[in-house]
Amino acid sequence: MSAQKRRPEEDGRDFADAMWSVPSYLLAGMAFYGGLGWLLDRWLGLSALFPIGVVLGVVLSGYLVYRKFGR
Amino acid sequence: MSALTLLAPPSDQFGAPTPEELFNLPPIIPGVDWFTKPVLLAMLSVILVVGFLWAAFANPKVVPRGVQNVAEYGYMFVRDQVARPFLGKDADRWMGLLVTLFFTVLLWNIMGVIPVLQFPVASHIAFPAVLAGSIYVLKVYLGIKHQGAVGYFKNMMFPPGLPKFIYVLLAPIEFLSNLIIAPFTHAVRLFANMFAGHMLLAFFSMVGFWFLFEKLTPVGAGVGVVGVVMTIILTGFELFIQFLQAFLFAMLAAMYIGGSLHPEH
Amino acid sequence: MSVLAEVSGNVTAIGYGLAAIGPGIGVGIIFGQGVQAIARQPEAYGLIRQNMLLGFVLTEALALIGLVAPFIFSAL
Repeated sequence: MSAQKRRPEEDGRDFADAMWSVPSYLLAGMAFYGGLGWLLDRWLGLSALFPIGVVLGVVLSGYLVYRKFGR
Repeated sequence: MSALTLLAPPSDQFGAPTPEELFNLPPIIPGVDWFTKPVLLAMLSVILVVGFLWAAFANPKVVPRGVQNVAEYGYMFVRDQVARPFLGKDADRWMGLLVTLFFTVLLWNIMGVIPVLQFPVASHIAFPAVLAGSIYVLKVYLGIKHQGAVGYFKNMMFPPGLPKFIYVLLAPIEFLSNLIIAPFTHAVRLFANMFAGHMLLAFFSMVGFWFLFEKLTPVGAGVGVVGVVMTIILTGFELFIQFLQAFLFAMLAAMYIGGSLHPEH
Repeated sequence: MSVLAEVSGNVTAIGYGLAAIGPGIGVGIIFGQGVQAIARQPEAYGLIRQNMLLGFVLTEALALIGLVAPFIFSAL
């Protein structure tokens, strides 16, 4: 990380970045992997891949937020 | 008595105001289809914002007096809370855009509780969508200009510090989130808050009016009083929400612009 | 058997409304306690922020799954 000057402003900005990107990443993950699961369902004729895709999306986005903002 | 309300339901039952009659307003000059009340209010707010800021800052004096004093409070608020945390040293270059955004959205929202006007302009999806769309175009343009086309997407999709094999799974999430969901939530946050607030105020006003003026019954009067009290409380709450949403809109605009100018350190 | 009362409309809206109660309380507790913790020990801000964010992500996930649930259960 670069030199942290003006610590409170940087903190405030990092926190605001994290806060607003959490729901956005969650939604994006759910939409993308849920959509993938839904397309695979239509192709293969199953019906269970869509929820699996949604949950997978949630897990992956949660991991992304953790790695990006939690270190 | 029913001339006092434009939305009086024709029957004997209490009818809540529907979104159709609240938001689908007829044109003011018959024949000019696009000139409805929201358009008139938007034009009025443009004139007011430009006039206010011009009167304040046309001949600035070192010791501010009058309108300039008031406008300087607003300017310093935007600069310290919205611009400086996200834009750092470049804040002064973007103050024009951010001050205009903040005051325009604030005036749009406040029109929802001013008597006679009483329509929050942002509750038609077109108005926040245009603003959010233009900030989105600005964000992508600045990102590509400052980081190069390849560099912009690379910095956005592959943040440093993750194990390599995860990148393939996470890059689509980052891409989708930054380029598609961000402008969408930017506009819809403002729209949904103003829409819901307007519906709530209309509903409780209708309750108060119906039970106290249209059909006054002993039991119903209590409900009517509750409706009036709730309208007053909700108007105060709505003022707070309107200010907060204007602040959030400007803050997110500054965040997106700042994210394009200085990518993750 | 006659119908005494009837509610018409979309049941999924009620479902989402009920599903949003839990995460709403959860997020409130997380950030309320987080702010209290920061007030007690401002030096630990980084640590508290990390944990607040982690808790927020997990709780928000539930609310968003509640939003998607009608589509999931109608597809299954």
